[in-house]
Amino acid sequence: MSLPEFKLLRPRSVEEAVGMLHRHQGEIQICAGGTDLLPSMKQRLFAPKYLMDIRGIDGLERIRVTPGLGVELGALTTLSAVEDSGFISKNYPVLHEAVKTVASPILRNMGTMGGNISLDTRCLWYNQSLQWRKSCGFCIKKDGDLCHVAPGGKKCWAAFSADTPAALLCLSAEVNIASPQGYRRVPIAQLYNNDGVDRIKLAKTDMITSIYLPESSAGWSGAYKKLRMRGSIDYPLAGVAVAVKYRGKTVEDARVAITGVNPAPHLIPDAPHALVGRELNEHAAMVVGELAARVAKPLTTSLLTPEYRREMVRVYAKRAVMAAGAASSN
Amino acid sequence: MSKENFSIIGKPVALVDSAGKTTGQGKYADDLSIPGMLIGKILHSHLPHAKIKKIDFSRALELEGVVTVVIGKDAPNTYGILPVGHDETALAVEKVRYVGDNVACVVAETESIAEAALELIDVEYEPLPAWFDPEDSMKATANFIHEQRPSNLEKDYHHSFGDPDAGFAQADVVLENRYVANEVTHAAMEPHCTLASFEFDPQTGLEGRLTVQSSTQVPYYLQHKLSIVLDMPMSQIRVIKPLVGGGFGGKSEIIPLEIIAAVAARKAKAPVKITYTREEVFLAHRGRPRTIIDLKTGIKNDGSITAVAAKVIQDGGAYCSYGVVTILYSGALLGALYDIPNIKYDGYRVLTNKPACGAMRGHGTVNVRFAFESQLDELAAKIGMDPLAVRRKNLLKPPCITVNGLRVQSYGLPECIDVVARESKWSERGKNRKKSRGLGMACSHYVSGAASSIIRSDMPHSTVNIKIDRDGGVVVYTGASDIGQGSDTMVAQIAAEVLGCKLGRVKVVAADTDLTPVDIGSYSSRVTFMNGNATLRAAEEIKRKIVAAASRKMACSPEDVIMREDVVYKKGMSPQTSSLLEKVLGKKDDAPTVSGHVEGQILRGSVQQKRKEEGPKDKLSFEEAVTAAMDNTGALTGSGSYAPPLEAKGGKHKGGGVGPSPAYSYSAQVADVTVDEETGEVTVNKIWAAHDCGRALNPVSVEGQVIGSVWMGLGQALQEEFVWKDGLLMNAGMLEYKSPSATESPEIESFIVESIDPEGPFGAKEASEGSLAAAIPAIANAIYDAVGVRLRESPFTPERVLSAIRAKNNLKKIEMTNRVDPTAPHKLREHGGSLWFKGRGPKRHEDDPARRAEHAD
Repeated sequence: MSLPEFKLLRPRSVEEAVGMLHRHQGEIQICAGGTDLLPSMKQRLFAPKYLMDIRGIDGLERIRVTPGLGVELGALTTLSAVEDSGFISKNYPVLHEAVKTVASPILRNMGTMGGNISLDTRCLWYNQSLQWRKSCGFCIKKDGDLCHVAPGGKKCWAAFSADTPAALLCLSAEVNIASPQGYRRVPIAQLYNNDGVDRIKLAKTDMITSIYLPESSAGWSGAYKKLRMRGSIDYPLAGVAVAVKYRGKTVEDARVAITGVNPAPHLIPDAPHALVGRELNEHAAMVVGELAARVAKPLTTSLLTPEYRREMVRVYAKRAVMAAGAASSN
Repeated sequence: MSKENFSIIGKPVALVDSAGKTTGQGKYADDLSIPGMLIGKILHSHLPHAKIKKIDFSRALELEGVVTVVIGKDAPNTYGILPVGHDETALAVEKVRYVGDNVACVVAETESIAEAALELIDVEYEPLPAWFDPEDSMKATANFIHEQRPSNLEKDYHHSFGDPDAGFAQADVVLENRYVANEVTHAAMEPHCTLASFEFDPQTGLEGRLTVQSSTQVPYYLQHKLSIVLDMPMSQIRVIKPLVGGGFGGKSEIIPLEIIAAVAARKAKAPVKITYTREEVFLAHRGRPRTIIDLKTGIKNDGSITAVAAKVIQDGGAYCSYGVVTILYSGALLGALYDIPNIKYDGYRVLTNKPACGAMRGHGTVNVRFAFESQLDELAAKIGMDPLAVRRKNLLKPPCITVNGLRVQSYGLPECIDVVARESKWSERGKNRKKSRGLGMACSHYVSGAASSIIRSDMPHSTVNIKIDRDGGVVVYTGASDIGQGSDTMVAQIAAEVLGCKLGRVKVVAADTDLTPVDIGSYSSRVTFMNGNATLRAAEEIKRKIVAAASRKMACSPEDVIMREDVVYKKGMSPQTSSLLEKVLGKKDDAPTVSGHVEGQILRGSVQQKRKEEGPKDKLSFEEAVTAAMDNTGALTGSGSYAPPLEAKGGKHKGGGVGPSPAYSYSAQVADVTVDEETGEVTVNKIWAAHDCGRALNPVSVEGQVIGSVWMGLGQALQEEFVWKDGLLMNAGMLEYKSPSATESPEIESFIVESIDPEGPFGAKEASEGSLAAAIPAIANAIYDAVGVRLRESPFTPERVLSAIRAKNNLKKIEMTNRVDPTAPHKLREHGGSLWFKGRGPKRHEDDPARRAEHAD
């Protein structure tokens, strides 16, 4: 399969990039690592007139620590760089755990943090070649008007399938977005729409430039558990991230987030109540599992059944809580 | 006994083509390019079953860069790999029979132009009701997939050997179960690719000879089928096999692109290359069919099996392919592993509107073996016998002929069982038992080639020519197709061993129908046995000539001439001398060297020099002996061929030609697994695999083949399966078709057992398929041992395992395996400008473990 024809743009600065986005609105797509976008272009899921390769922009691939404030990850920081960062693994272990489960080592060398958080949603009926999609009459996410997994409604249920956003939700991360109007910071919890098509709250002229991890989340113990058929390569069919802040043996604060089962990653709203003020134990972990499973709404977007994936959210959430507890006692 | 005094046989040898493969110098089909070459892209059907009313490609032709468009009527002759199954055409002529069937081929200057042109072809279809489930399909009364196959039944066989009823009557315990093995595919690393080009007659300008370079396991069959479809004499067609990146059966018949490229090259009057996308590889398929096995086995309390009855239904897809052979193997290979006195077999090969299934590693035996070895464990438990003891109780006593007519000579199964029992510490497995962890064992076997070839001809199955010229080089011309399994190396080893020369002296010219004698191909694990024997005979013929000349030179009888490691010497003499080749390559080359050195030019001075008159010698260099043998003649040539002996050809019953083999390989395996009882995830910790390959000509190759077979079985056991939605393959790619990655691949420890077959070359037999089948039941039995659930549907995905565990523990049922999304479409409907098939969902047997909620219409 060949790539569709496009014109390659290579801006040298964020300002130039935003200018290009403005000029070619609707006809342009941003390419960072390209690990997800290029295969999708071959499948004709995207055929933009312009492809903007932002890797030539200086300064977007840094991990910058500002004492008292936190750490800023440039949008072009590769997943490998985050994985290899001793600072991240020490201070933000939940992110480190999530990052190292993404795809395979080779893909992590190319894939970026910015790309991972803005990853397209995925579905068996969507991530297929043009020839294949003709056979099913297309779907609501691309070229059609029916959702094959929930044909009663008008919503797309493609699953948000990135690993790191679950961890970033647990860390109360914020995203720095450049636009023709200037920069703005958005909490990652407000970035997503829970809609398979209109998945992310970014205007056509917006570009993510960095991700902030607040210092208040540093030092929380954490764990990420990922459901997949293979130990490598696969996208998450369910993912659970847990971050816990302790005072002594008591949980002072906690956050749990899931990914891979809904059109957006979600914080589990009631999970902190189940954990804060207690010592971590199996019972509390099971409660969190139940809460997480209640938020999960998997549909037949993958080869594993929705029922199994929901059940695994329960099991994996329980295990992630226990693992976060175990990590803290080390 | 295996450590006989060979110089090359039995030594671990690097594959002779490995340097090219590892440096990138080696050329696979898609690496090839010739001037003026165009690219072909195939338009595939998006409907599972439909009449083609009209194809209009005029808009495609208008696109700049498009040269021509080929459709079905450009080459309407039918072909198929089996003489009884000529049901395919290059491109669909009247109707399409599966989503992915071949409708048209655009030939253009570039791939992207060809792809763009596909969108400009207008095809008008008349959809027909389609058949997706074999048990439904067999009940069809109209809308047959092929008119000549009423009830969509490709072929059925009903065999009875011994007295099955009496056998079951003698049994103390009889078990009957249904097993389902879902569909899997080869997923070879190299996607199929074919480059076809015609020479043009200088007088008439018409197309003349055709050369096809293709990723194939069967160059000779390809030449034959091209001649049928193109109406050309075989002599005008040359098929060359470049390096092939794995086949596993997926390239063991004629794949549509191979014919389409040739037809397109003829119409375009230019060379045409077609390379499949990975999705097209999945749709071309020819993999292992979804198989439903209703198995019944009777056993006495002492462990002896009294009878087996199997009803097997194979979901064959839309074309015959190897189907008739597959369904016969499934029955025939119930025999020749254990001593079973009574066998009843009912096999049904059914057509459905899905890509054709064909031959895949362990052809025909794998799924039935999964059922049999699983049931044997259940029977052992019923009579309170150790699973290993039951198998030992039912061993054959060779030499013998089984009740279904299979001749067994060498039989290393008892030793295979002993080895894995010892290495896995089987007898101690009850001690220190860890929760959710268990051991399981199973056995399997496979043919070393079929005693009767599928083309029903009496010609030899392999012929090999060898030439030695004055450069002292040994050139072996063999039709054997090296597809990565190492047949070039095997041929070189046998020639060098027989001729007593160094491996580096042998050059192998292989799989080129203009240069190499007919060999029927690399499939059914026939190459080492058959082509190896032909090579052995060709080398012996040429050796006789050299020995005769050398005996004159050394004034001794021919029986006293020894040829070994480039030295020809009298029996009893020390062979110490330095050969010319050694001078070139250095003395230290104990490690055999890769062929292809230009030793000829360096040797020329000495080999071609006038022979001086001299007295008798005690020893000669290889070159001296060869030169003496040539005397005043030209190059030395030898030819050898192999046809299986009549005694190995099996019974006279209908379909009795499939199953008989000159020799069978044997395998025993023990799997150690851990089951996560909360997630259903199965982790294989280790597999011990012992394989009887007769003699390991190249032990490192044999080990690689055994590990590869087990690993492939592991994929089928745990995660690989085709998932269908009304004829639409949901996972046609390597991301969603879950072949195991390195991270979940366990340690596989392989053990070679050498039974030294009386008819194999140096005693060798099959090594590359026989170990696959045992892996699946070994894992199923280990899962049972670990958590007490019996999985009767493969693969044992986490959902299936967890469902079984929850059922066993009487937990609330979660419909995890039924894909029962309440909002899923009940009825496929017209939508989005293209047509969904309007039909009913599949109905399944009520005992079917895969039974899904029926689609209410």
